[in-house]
Amino acid sequence: MEANTKQVSAVLSPPAPHMVGDGFRVHNFFPSGYRIKMSPFFLLDYNAKIGFSARNEPRGVGVHPHRGFETVTIAYHGAVAHHDSAGNSGVIYPGDVQWMTAARGILHKEFHEAEYSKKGGDFQMVQLWVNLPAKDKMSPPKYQGVKHDNIAKHVLSQNGDAIEVIAGAYQDTKGSVSTFTPINVYNARLNKGGKAAFSFPATYNTGFVIIEGRIQINDSEVAETDQFVHFKNEGTEIKIEALEDAVVLILSGEPINEPVAQYGPFLMNTAEEIQQAISDYNQGKFGYLEE
Amino acid sequence: MLEQFKTYLQNKVAITDEQFALISGKLKIKTFERNEMILMKGEVSAHGYFVMSGLLRSYSIDSKGKTHIIQFAPEQWWLSDRNGMLFNEASDFFIDAIERTEAVVIPKDYINEAAKIVPCMHDFNHTILNNSIRFMQKRINMLLSATAEERYLNFIKLYPNLTLRVPQWMIASYLGITPESLSRVRKDLAHKHFKV
Repeated sequence: MEANTKQVSAVLSPPAPHMVGDGFRVHNFFPSGYRIKMSPFFLLDYNAKIGFSARNEPRGVGVHPHRGFETVTIAYHGAVAHHDSAGNSGVIYPGDVQWMTAARGILHKEFHEAEYSKKGGDFQMVQLWVNLPAKDKMSPPKYQGVKHDNIAKHVLSQNGDAIEVIAGAYQDTKGSVSTFTPINVYNARLNKGGKAAFSFPATYNTGFVIIEGRIQINDSEVAETDQFVHFKNEGTEIKIEALEDAVVLILSGEPINEPVAQYGPFLMNTAEEIQQAISDYNQGKFGYLEE
Repeated sequence: MLEQFKTYLQNKVAITDEQFALISGKLKIKTFERNEMILMKGEVSAHGYFVMSGLLRSYSIDSKGKTHIIQFAPEQWWLSDRNGMLFNEASDFFIDAIERTEAVVIPKDYINEAAKIVPCMHDFNHTILNNSIRFMQKRINMLLSATAEERYLNFIKLYPNLTLRVPQWMIASYLGITPESLSRVRKDLAHKHFKV
């Protein structure tokens, strides 16, 4: 093994699932599932592939607030309709990404998209909470929606192996999403036998979600569908090979080394800021969104 | 496990660790799962509850099947049916767990028994009783005379984080207003306070 290989620290199986509202059946890999260092990623809820029955009344999560971070939704199967108090709305279809900066405060709701709900079928999503540095926590909310077709693609081989760069950069391919701290988020889509190599600074916290298929990492560890691969903060180079057709969500970012205070949907630096967030929410300072 | 309850008591009355040990033998901690029924209307309750984590509620159901929430009990709150605890009568209310809850189960007559060993428990009893009466008086006045907005503003002062923990209809039920009125109140507040 090369000296500068970023080695696997653990291959983690999905913890027991729980429901978020009635529309998302998620395995929380962190912070509650496993105590692993993943800052600036604070939370990873993984809705492993599951079939929902057809229903006229869409399942989902009603109006709720966020402050102090960004929510990132990446769809693989099924479709989610989103509305927020800043007037943004949209549908996240398979391959699409929604990067919502809650920052100083937003209300939103997420439901299965009406047509998908009526038909039912496979549903698979990732939701990440990306922390913001203290100086940006109270910046204005914003919304970046990226359609699958518009995601920058780095083609690796003629048989279609590719890295879709959502945020950050893969070699000379840059993602369109702007972030507050250095972050790389990619979807690697590899055919059986397809290979990819990554290079991230040793200090960056790094993890992969195996969305589909089975891969071998650094010619040694093997990880399969629904597992999370966590890397050590040593070395820089990672190699993967698809043992089956595979889709892998790749996360790597520079840690935000600031105190964290979390309560429910708020992620701040101090307990006082959490109290303030609760009070502001109660008093309508996040705006209004119809249920 | 009873450490939290001990700290709570020690913040209210001068009770030593040794005294607490003498009066805590009959206390038990119980975990209630989310939605678990703890007391049904018509039952005679022999226990009160001190919530360490989670959230309990007491409520009634009227002849039309509508739920009326009497009290929420989040962390550090007491909840009991005094009909059963003190008068050996059937409860008018239901008690259940809104969240998974860990509570200290307080047996009937506990405080009187404890006061025989540690007299300052009488003072403690008076304090929480007076506090409870004061709370009820305010609540009656709110329900008789306050506007929907006043009720909501009072609620968020009393229970700041419950707006994040229970659905709107439960808050409306507690306030004695319709969910639509609550929605209107929140919308009006947002218009007053939200700045782009």
